[in-house]
Amino acid sequence: MTHVSERTARRASLGRHVLPYAMLSPAVLVTLAIVFFPMIQTAWMSLHDYVLFRPNDFTWVGLDNFKAALSDEVFWISLKHTIIWMCTTIPAQLLLGLATALLLNQEFPWRPVARALIIIPWALPSVVIALMWVWIYDSNYGIANELLLRMGLIQQAIPWLADPDTALASIILTLTWQGFPFFAVMILAGLQSIPQSYYEAASIDGASAWRQFWHITLPGISGVMMTAVLLRMIWVANSFDVIFVMTGGGPGYSTHTLPLYAFIKARTNLDFGYGSAIAVLFTMLLMVVVLFYLRRTGKAVE
Amino acid sequence: MKFRTLTGLASTLALCAGMASADSTVRFWYHFDNADNPMDALVEKFEAANPDITVEAENIPWNSYYDQLYTAIIGANAPDAAMVKMFAQPRLVEMGALAPIDDWLASWEGTEGLQDNLIELTKGPDGKQYYLPVQYVVLYLYYRPDMFEELGLSVPTTCEEFRDAAKALTRDTDGDGQIDTYGFGFRGGKGGHDHWASFVLGADGVSLTEGLTSEAGIAGTQFVADLFQQDKVFPPSAPNDGFQEIIGAFKAGKTAMTIHHIGSANGMVEALGDNVAAAPVPACGGGQWTAFGDESTAVLSSAEDPEAAWKWISFLSSPENNALFNEATGQLPVVKSDSEAWSLHPQRFVQATVDSLPFAEMLPNSNATADFVNTEWPTNMQRVLTGDITAEQMNTNIEKLFAE
Repeated sequence: MTHVSERTARRASLGRHVLPYAMLSPAVLVTLAIVFFPMIQTAWMSLHDYVLFRPNDFTWVGLDNFKAALSDEVFWISLKHTIIWMCTTIPAQLLLGLATALLLNQEFPWRPVARALIIIPWALPSVVIALMWVWIYDSNYGIANELLLRMGLIQQAIPWLADPDTALASIILTLTWQGFPFFAVMILAGLQSIPQSYYEAASIDGASAWRQFWHITLPGISGVMMTAVLLRMIWVANSFDVIFVMTGGGPGYSTHTLPLYAFIKARTNLDFGYGSAIAVLFTMLLMVVVLFYLRRTGKAVE
Repeated sequence: MKFRTLTGLASTLALCAGMASADSTVRFWYHFDNADNPMDALVEKFEAANPDITVEAENIPWNSYYDQLYTAIIGANAPDAAMVKMFAQPRLVEMGALAPIDDWLASWEGTEGLQDNLIELTKGPDGKQYYLPVQYVVLYLYYRPDMFEELGLSVPTTCEEFRDAAKALTRDTDGDGQIDTYGFGFRGGKGGHDHWASFVLGADGVSLTEGLTSEAGIAGTQFVADLFQQDKVFPPSAPNDGFQEIIGAFKAGKTAMTIHHIGSANGMVEALGDNVAAAPVPACGGGQWTAFGDESTAVLSSAEDPEAAWKWISFLSSPENNALFNEATGQLPVVKSDSEAWSLHPQRFVQATVDSLPFAEMLPNSNATADFVNTEWPTNMQRVLTGDITAEQMNTNIEKLFAE
């Protein structure tokens, strides 16, 4: 009897050890197959001369593609744009999202409707957003020019997307509009987890609204904000669909970013070796930024 | 009883299997912008005549057509037959993706009925025939006769006259200080190389592979840059404008001239009535150059049943079927008998096409052509238009690409 129960117990403990792995393994296997395998394939291709229309010519070239990329003018232009793109879009989205979340956290009639409406830009497919904004910016019929002309702010219609001085900024504005609801919703969730009693106690102590915000609200949502910024950083850095639809990287190279450049090289020019090298370089750069960010903010939040 | 049911079932199954193997399926890829798609009618007609062949025709969006085609070929998931353009042929041949059609052509009764010289024009880089022409167009100049008349202008025949006309046509018609009409709708985005080429490659001794960096070649690109930067006769959005924009602007009266082919003629007439006409592109630098826009079909080397695929593509280039095909694309049939009976475009546009044929040319039969069309030309042209690089740098870059 005891022998049997011992065996069952052992089996149960074995089950407890094995079961989690067994349950996790499908997810792990799928991730390996659809994320890690292509990643390794990309790294492998980046070390070869691989042009898709010469499928039999797969020559090992070592780091030549990387050397070529580092001496490629377009690589540096794209890198510069990627940095501008990330350093403006994410803070703009964060600030706008924070302001929206604070507003939505107030009591006012129709609040649920407002909360539902605010999510629309985020819920729309990128291609739809891109096409919509192409029309807004259109220099002949676009509403942006029409409004500015009527208000007398400009004298001549501006070709927002065709002028290299305004093209990147115009796309950044579009992406800010698309992405701020994500911050708004995340921060709103964070705000609602701060107990009301903190504010009551603070106001009894005579803390001003600003001090309440600085000492209660901000620390209360810092964890959420950190995660949201991290996620957005990766998404914004990788997103090129909006740019691709709006300008295709043009005029010239004025809206090229690194992921877009890698895509154009691989998919349009069919140069998968070189395209992969750019993608690998970009992944490494992004990884450095993300690690740095995690270390800094991790300390700050603690 | 049980045994009999079983054998009955088995023989039915065997019969089904036998029927399935006798039938073949042709997967066909094509691209039509036109929503009025005749493909279903053509497939139905073909299947009625060839009951053992099923055609699965798939309309692939033009913007990613070649990206998808190359990827499908590499991924061993290519269609059996596809619509193809000349600029892609060197690459497809190099990939070994196409099946030669010489033997079929030799025994096909339709070969004689094709327009003269088309087979010769579409020959592969290795001398074999892979492409079967299905439609063609020639680019010409669209203009607004009413605006020309109002200003007392005549249709430009040289680049100098073109420049003067474009300057005169660029004007503020309602006095609000805004330019309402621009002289020329220039396509600075992908696909606009034909516009640029008409201003540049007409000059003596200048082609994409030769003389591009000569004085005449650079002057051609500079001419385009000056039209935009100094004369301001293109809409300011020109560097990014594509097909939709140039056609839309012309229809809306935003531009007084542009370059395109007969495929857009009916739409233009619908919008503008008699206020649209066509003429061959002006002569620049002493000669004329315009683009011959080709479209063919081909059998892929990976086709499961190449014979069936050939039957289908030759069906599309046969009398009557070819006319039906071109009714939808708005281009011109390659079958002689169908061209003679052609009445789907107003005569003035057919005339402009015919008048342009003697100097119409195709892009070089080179591996570099696809990159030239897709990325090299648009990026360089946009950089010249926005003042980022000079005309000379652009021509040097293109020359380098073709020299590689």
